[in-house]
Amino acid sequence: MARYALRRLLIAIPTLLAISFIIFALLDLAPSDPTANLPLTIPPEVREKIRLSLGLGEPFVVRYFKWLEQFMINEPLNVLEQWTGWTIGDSENRLRVLSWATRSPVTDLIVERLPQTLWVVGMSYVIAVLIAVPIGVISAYRQYSLFDQIGTFISMLGFSIPTFFTGLLLIVIFSVWLGWLPSIYDTTHVVRDWDSFVFQVKQMLMPTMVLALANASQISRFMRASMLDNLNQDYVRTARAKGLRERVVVLVHVLRNSLIPVVTVIALGVPTIFGGAIITEQIFRVNGIGQLLIIGIEGADIPLVQTLTFIFAILIVVFNLIADLIYGMLDPRIRYD
Amino acid sequence: MAFDSPKAGETLVRVADLKVHFPIHAGLIRRQVGTVRAVDGVSFDVARGETLGLVGESGCGKSTTGRAVLRLVDATAGRIEMAGTDIASLGSEALRRMRPRMQMIFQDPHASLNPRMTVGSIVAEPLSEHGTLRGSARQRRVEELLDAVGLNPSFANRYPHEFSGGQRQRIGIARALALDPDFIVCDEPIAALDVSIQAQVVNLLEELQERLGLTYLFISHDLSMVRHIADRVAVMYLGKIVELADREALYGAPKHPYTQALLSAVPIPNPKVEATRRHIILKGDVPSPANPPSGCRFRTRCPIAEARCAAEEPAWRKLDDGRHVACHFAT
Amino acid sequence: MTPLRRLLVASVACAAMTATAAQAQRGADGQLNIIYWQAPSTMNPFLSGGTKEVEASSMVIEPLASYDNDGNIVPRLAVELPTVENGGVSADLTSITWKLKPGVKWSDGSDFTAEDAVFTWKYCTAPDGGCAQSSYFEGVANMEAVDPLTLKITFAEPKPFPYTALVGAESPIIQKKQFENCMGAKAPECTQQNFNPIGTGPFVVKEFRANDVITLEANPNYREADKPRFQTVLFKGGGDAASAARSVLETGEFDYAWNLQIEPEVLERMEGAGKGKLVSAFATSVERILINFTNPDPALGPDARSVYKDDGSNAHPILNDIRVRKALSLAIDRPLLNDLGYGKTGRPVCNVLPGPDIYASTANDACLVQDIEAAKALLDEAGWAPGSDGVRVKDGRRLSLLYQTSTNSVRQSFQSLIKQWWAEIGVETELRNISASVFFGGDPASPDTFQKFYADVEMYTNNFSGVDPEAYMADWRCDAIPGPATQWQGSNINRYCNPDYDALSKKMASTAALADRAELAKAMNDMLMQDYVLLPLIHRSGTSAHSVTLAGVKMNDWDSELWNIADWHRAK
Repeated sequence: MARYALRRLLIAIPTLLAISFIIFALLDLAPSDPTANLPLTIPPEVREKIRLSLGLGEPFVVRYFKWLEQFMINEPLNVLEQWTGWTIGDSENRLRVLSWATRSPVTDLIVERLPQTLWVVGMSYVIAVLIAVPIGVISAYRQYSLFDQIGTFISMLGFSIPTFFTGLLLIVIFSVWLGWLPSIYDTTHVVRDWDSFVFQVKQMLMPTMVLALANASQISRFMRASMLDNLNQDYVRTARAKGLRERVVVLVHVLRNSLIPVVTVIALGVPTIFGGAIITEQIFRVNGIGQLLIIGIEGADIPLVQTLTFIFAILIVVFNLIADLIYGMLDPRIRYD
Repeated sequence: MAFDSPKAGETLVRVADLKVHFPIHAGLIRRQVGTVRAVDGVSFDVARGETLGLVGESGCGKSTTGRAVLRLVDATAGRIEMAGTDIASLGSEALRRMRPRMQMIFQDPHASLNPRMTVGSIVAEPLSEHGTLRGSARQRRVEELLDAVGLNPSFANRYPHEFSGGQRQRIGIARALALDPDFIVCDEPIAALDVSIQAQVVNLLEELQERLGLTYLFISHDLSMVRHIADRVAVMYLGKIVELADREALYGAPKHPYTQALLSAVPIPNPKVEATRRHIILKGDVPSPANPPSGCRFRTRCPIAEARCAAEEPAWRKLDDGRHVACHFAT
Repeated sequence: MTPLRRLLVASVACAAMTATAAQAQRGADGQLNIIYWQAPSTMNPFLSGGTKEVEASSMVIEPLASYDNDGNIVPRLAVELPTVENGGVSADLTSITWKLKPGVKWSDGSDFTAEDAVFTWKYCTAPDGGCAQSSYFEGVANMEAVDPLTLKITFAEPKPFPYTALVGAESPIIQKKQFENCMGAKAPECTQQNFNPIGTGPFVVKEFRANDVITLEANPNYREADKPRFQTVLFKGGGDAASAARSVLETGEFDYAWNLQIEPEVLERMEGAGKGKLVSAFATSVERILINFTNPDPALGPDARSVYKDDGSNAHPILNDIRVRKALSLAIDRPLLNDLGYGKTGRPVCNVLPGPDIYASTANDACLVQDIEAAKALLDEAGWAPGSDGVRVKDGRRLSLLYQTSTNSVRQSFQSLIKQWWAEIGVETELRNISASVFFGGDPASPDTFQKFYADVEMYTNNFSGVDPEAYMADWRCDAIPGPATQWQGSNINRYCNPDYDALSKKMASTAALADRAELAKAMNDMLMQDYVLLPLIHRSGTSAHSVTLAGVKMNDWDSELWNIADWHRAK
């Protein structure tokens, strides 16, 4: 398995290099202008100077390799230095990937935003899994029961109603009418004591639930389908014939086998946590990675968008590998040798 | 009705008027719109140590019967007595305690073994659930069982997918034997195997029966294999048993027209005889068990059916030679 | 009640209890919550010219003088406004001398001096710095600190309106000590400085999170001892205008929400909740349709398409006729457009220069009335006869126009309404909308920018900052026409060229008396209007909302909306 993982990682390097080039080229070729959002009162000559100061005057290839060096070598070194406190080489003058809009290092922006994204989106994912697995199990075990019908209906809603609608609906109900929950997420809030913890829970509640509903609908359907596949298998009948308790039959035999595909689905979904939830973050102003990306796109902040999309690409490649390895660990029928 | 079996031994399993009906749901709110009468009034008994063959076309309800006898599906009506206990109405905990005495060997040796468990744990699981064996004693018992079915005991740590079909069926048999059952339902245990392997498995079953005094309900559509292994044979058609007789009597002189038709379809390994034999070709398809014909269920395809057959359901009669037939015209 | 609101109510109650004591105390009113639905990306307005950055930084760094809510210039760091009369501006209009207020300190406690002002000029004009506000320093030949409290600015040539450099929120003064090592190409690397500028304003940055949230606290060294009244400011960014409005008008979580450009009926309904008030201020933003005076025919090569030629050889085949341009204007019902798209936040307008009041012409107000029949008559007169399908034809050419604008729901509904009206007078219109980042982007390679104007008419909003229209009105001079030779840079997007207009513009550049300048500006405006160079539609306001518990807001569209934030306080 270790050799397999190593081989896959080695293959990932040229793949990622190709992706980095495609991302860079696509974003670079797309018609956009970092000065487009500035007021028209700023005269064109000044705009041209701004563009030049952003390094747009250099040829494409030069910019690509600069970015590659900054992203692949300089930024990891910086992260290393920050963690360890060492000084490696000339760290003062090392060029970093700078965002055009903020003129600050892109990685610092990302690091600043990761906590809220991981808290809100990550928590919603955890909640989604915690809700979805039991619902899927019960729905399948009691197929066509009232519970299953209601579960199907709710997951249908979660699937088909976009998060901007559920988000807005929740805000109107819980913030405007009832006034129970804040509609705007305070990213500066620090949990110090019980009261501030309660406030944190309150402000996380709506965005987390909106996302959890969407995710849970999906995962619970996977879980249900996978359970149904397994429930009708002969080995379940075997387990019953052995005289095992029903709980053991369902939880040990059926659930374990049914979880194999679901776990890989869940693992493949993890990169989307880091990607944030563009719409939900925007609605509740969680201002995490998703909102950073959308601002970058709107403001033609190309280095920011390039870096973010490339990080997503890395995460997707890595979690694909992880999903494969998990599959191999869970299912003895699959061996990577 | 009497269910005396030809063997002198005591009756181990007694099934009386067993019915298994499945509801049919349709529409948006899944209202029940009908009933599939998979098993519709089946009665037989099995004596200790004997093998009862159960034959019939696919879809006739023989597998459902086998599962219902072990309460792997719930019976809609009827009694299933297991050594005097009616298990049809038993609560789940009491039933669980009965499980060690009755086991099943499944048709598909691949699907019937949990793919994520090692062979050792598959065989050991019932031991830890019901038995008192622990640790190395249990380990020894597993090895013993594997040895008994002709597998290398060192295979215990492997997973089912690493074995061939025949080997897997042996694992299934070892698993069924783990708790020293009295009664085993063999549900088409060889149908999924290569012909060359089939004989090995059947021989193993016979050998184990001899050694351990097992009682089998052997479900199969393979008439020659049933003739080889069974003491008595029951023939099922559309949820009902139409004829039940000693092996020799049934194969020698079938009385029910359906049995006759079935047997005539079995080729005889003698070209001369085969060439002159009369084949009864049945017309049409098997009717739907959701909507069986009135009267005699076989009448729609029966070569000798008369008006009476549609009006009157034939009685389950005992003929002079001791066999049971459900046909107005059988003598 | 949300904890936030509980806090607000509590602080109001506290303020009420200690009413007299609190009135004169810095920080007595607790926290102020401001929401900008576009989040500031930096606190250095020289590195980003966006409104959001300029306004956020206006709480921290200040110019010598600001514009008040009526468009008057009011001294801020200066003692008084220098004029020719008081000797502050030299008689030949080539220099201005500012007297700085004594005793002003930076938030780090050091003295604010004229050296800082000189440094700011050097900082913004340093090569490779890409300073977004460098146009404010145009024409400045030199700046010197005569003494720590006297700043002398010398212009290369006479400057009738000398209040550009270091006046207004776009041109504030930064601290020399802090930014000394951040000149030119090094400017972007000074992230710490750019996010946390030291200022003389009422607030200091405590934490800056780019594109998200800024927390500020009262500047302990602010020159007015009893101000600001709020101890802290939470300046939240992101989201959309509607939910920003909701957070002030409906949920009451925030005290102030900026730039609420949403459907008028939605805004009115929200205001009905009673938690907040809408405030609007009109300055110079005008939504307009521009007429292309050159031929945008795709069949022409890149050197001719929408390119102005001196000899008139590339004039627009249809729109060169003033009767057609006038007919297009007559067919538009401006009041209806305003009701649908802007409501209280806009008003129909007939001038491209709608303010300040002394510059606003009244000569063109007839355009407010739609007159389809007159438009038809004009087209008849111009020789455009109705064809079989209702579209007018002349010499085998159909009266068909391509009408482009940026993607934006209000603009698209304007487009379809106007298309309908133009259809009534026999003009066929093809609509096109382009993503704003492309349309307003300056990519010379893109065919879709507003500068290239590869269409017959296009629509967007423009304005000028400050109160002096001289530079704005100079946009329509012949030498400002964009074309391939100038990489499509140039402000005369119409490609309008009229020697009479150029003469007026030149005259204004050398006229100092305000009344004369006003006459000239009006004349230029009228010339543009009566020549139907562009069709003004809506005079747009800046519209924001503040909580009923917040007092002291003086909505201002001439300068930063937060220009007087030091005076904001809790309502009693």
